[in-house]
Amino acid sequence: MLKNSKIIPILITAFFLFLFLTVEPVLARDSEESAFRTERINALVLVLVFSAAVLLYTRWAKQGKTLFVRKIPGIDAVEEAVGRATEMGKPVLFIPGLQELDDIETIAAISILGRVARITAQYETPLLVPVRYPLVLAAGQEVVEQAYTELGKRDAYNRDIVRYVAGEQMAFTSTVNGMMMRERPAANIFMGAFFAESLLLAETGNAAGSIQIAGTARPEQLPFFIAACDYTLMGEELYAASSYLSKEPLMLGGLKGQDFIKIIIVILILIGVILVSFNVGGWYYKLFEMA
Amino acid sequence: MNFWNKIDTLDRRWVYLLVAISVILPFILPVKLPVYITPETQQLYDAVESLPDSSIVMLTFDYYPSTIAETEPMSRVALHHLFRKNIRIVTVTTVPLGGPSMAEQVTREMAEQYGKVYGVDFVNLGYKANYVAVLKGMGSSIEAIYPTDNLSTPLSELPLMNEVKNYDDIDFIYVVADNGIVDYWISIVNALYGTPVGCGVTAVMAPKFYAFVSAGQMTGLLGGMKGAAEYELLLGQPARATTGMDAQSLMHLLIIGLVLMGNIGYFAGRRQKGKKA
Amino acid sequence: MRTTVPVVIAFLSGLVLAVSIFFRPDKTIIGQLEPELLVWVTIIGGFTLFLGAVSITRVNFNAVQRRKKGWGYSLLTLISVFVMALPSLLPSTWSPLFGDAEGSIYDWLFQYLDKPMMATMFGMLAFYIASAAYRAFRARSAEATILLLTATLVMLWRVPMGEAFLRSIHTALPEWINTYVMNGVNMAVQRGIIIGAALGAASMSLRIILGIERTYMGKG
Repeated sequence: MLKNSKIIPILITAFFLFLFLTVEPVLARDSEESAFRTERINALVLVLVFSAAVLLYTRWAKQGKTLFVRKIPGIDAVEEAVGRATEMGKPVLFIPGLQELDDIETIAAISILGRVARITAQYETPLLVPVRYPLVLAAGQEVVEQAYTELGKRDAYNRDIVRYVAGEQMAFTSTVNGMMMRERPAANIFMGAFFAESLLLAETGNAAGSIQIAGTARPEQLPFFIAACDYTLMGEELYAASSYLSKEPLMLGGLKGQDFIKIIIVILILIGVILVSFNVGGWYYKLFEMA
Repeated sequence: MNFWNKIDTLDRRWVYLLVAISVILPFILPVKLPVYITPETQQLYDAVESLPDSSIVMLTFDYYPSTIAETEPMSRVALHHLFRKNIRIVTVTTVPLGGPSMAEQVTREMAEQYGKVYGVDFVNLGYKANYVAVLKGMGSSIEAIYPTDNLSTPLSELPLMNEVKNYDDIDFIYVVADNGIVDYWISIVNALYGTPVGCGVTAVMAPKFYAFVSAGQMTGLLGGMKGAAEYELLLGQPARATTGMDAQSLMHLLIIGLVLMGNIGYFAGRRQKGKKA
Repeated sequence: MRTTVPVVIAFLSGLVLAVSIFFRPDKTIIGQLEPELLVWVTIIGGFTLFLGAVSITRVNFNAVQRRKKGWGYSLLTLISVFVMALPSLLPSTWSPLFGDAEGSIYDWLFQYLDKPMMATMFGMLAFYIASAAYRAFRARSAEATILLLTATLVMLWRVPMGEAFLRSIHTALPEWINTYVMNGVNMAVQRGIIIGAALGAASMSLRIILGIERTYMGKG
């Protein structure tokens, strides 16, 4: 199986190219009349290959195949940070980003919140979760309540652990900054989509002496978190965090599938670089254009 | 504790004081150095310049009032350029607080200068919740998402909107934003509907979008107040952004100075520790 | 049941929106379903705003009632919420002070209180950036030194005073920074992160649509 998995990226890349070269021109002939948008077939192929890879690795994981996932120090630090908060008798502050629930970063953050809530419930450490959007509030409350209930700590759960603070970015930030200075949380965990407030929050947390862990897929905010936080999850590490914390093979399968596609993309980029360098890459470039 | 140790562990309030001075000082003693125009700003300017008379542009006010110092000058240069070229404008916002009223206020103020008529030369559609759905939905029908404009006038009563059904009728989208919405204007609107998108974003966000400009998914980019100042220069109308450039210059130089000082303190401290050891 | 129904809804909605991209809206049922679904989403989005109003009132009202630590702030929050919201909800036909048009109470509070307060908060970034840069930007290693030098060059390049200084060293230096740093190194790094994050998002979406990832519902 392991040997196969090494040649699979090459085989699928070949298949991918074959589809582009043969199927697309045939379908494109009657593109104007058909209900199917043949000009978007390249995207469809990518979606299918990607889905197949994720599902295949998930299946292998289900069957018991050991999947290696590198250590992510920022995620390992979450447990350590909650432990520190428990020792100090201070709360853990978790912010699931400042974006709506339809943003995938927020969903990832809510998943991580579920894991963090399990740890805080286990140690009975106070948890504070200020949110910016009502739907995030509903999802956050559900996730935290479930974590406390599953660990038999229903009595320790309070509906106001997750609270709506303000809908406006800076009103939210000033409220949370005030919370940081008054409550002095032992740990601040920032996960999800952050914007201009990233440094305002992280610097205040730093001034309050909290241990800080951040994770965002927004490249523009990474420098601020790196400067002011102890650990930072970058890009896809945020999406990996929930699977990593759960340690469930089913979830880890998704991560491996994603890595596999990344290898394919790297191969495709290299092919493109070579072709374009030799000035014969026009046709190849067109394969990736979407109408 | 010697001088360099003190520098290494300087109280952050001294830094705050220096920042305040360097922001205020240039407004009292302006320097007004020339601004260099980056290719990304030039590209956005050229894209608007090449639009024919009476084209229709969607201008977005996707920013919160908190960033107006950086973003509003961009909206103003965009409006100047569009109205001056006799281009018709449809404004939208994905920001609930302040977005619709800022669009209303700034657009009407500029329209008055150019003698433009609401409903004929420009329309403000206002805000609708769930931006991803709004952006995608406008690809099929703008009226389905916005049955009325910001002041509750049905779209059918606005002559301009009778010509605009979806993105196919929009020649260019000029996004001014301070948040992640820009990603969706590119990945949904430009990728799926092919309408060219040019953006003005805060300086912090700008480095991310160079990749999109280079890939042709974004037609030009304004980065923060500097981008707006460059555009003002291209329009030949120096205004707010150009004035703010001195304060920004001094602020950048202060940060460089502080970093330099911090490093000298750090190395001096390390050397001393080494000697003691 | 509590899990199955949301998973089925997530699966169907996700599938329709993902597949509809490949069909013309005017020719297929799936293509027509997409705009319909998107209108539903915007309507539901509007209703959720009430959830927020209820939560903020409950949390702060409880704090005031029980005289919790910092209850004064909660009282101020409650007053602000209602002073801002109530007049804007009343019809402007009753009085020009109601509604949210120019000259209304809402507009006045927004223009002269809310807007400057928000701008002030954003302005504080300048102070925080300076202090964070001062504290964190140390040439502790070779990588940190490269980062520091590049940051210094870009900061100089972005402002007229710095640019004048760079031009005094070499006239084409600002253009080189634009070409090699911003459109070279910066762009390559950003692309790497963007591609990685996009794949992560796609994989997560797939897991949600297929019901493998249920932690966001409190399951798993």
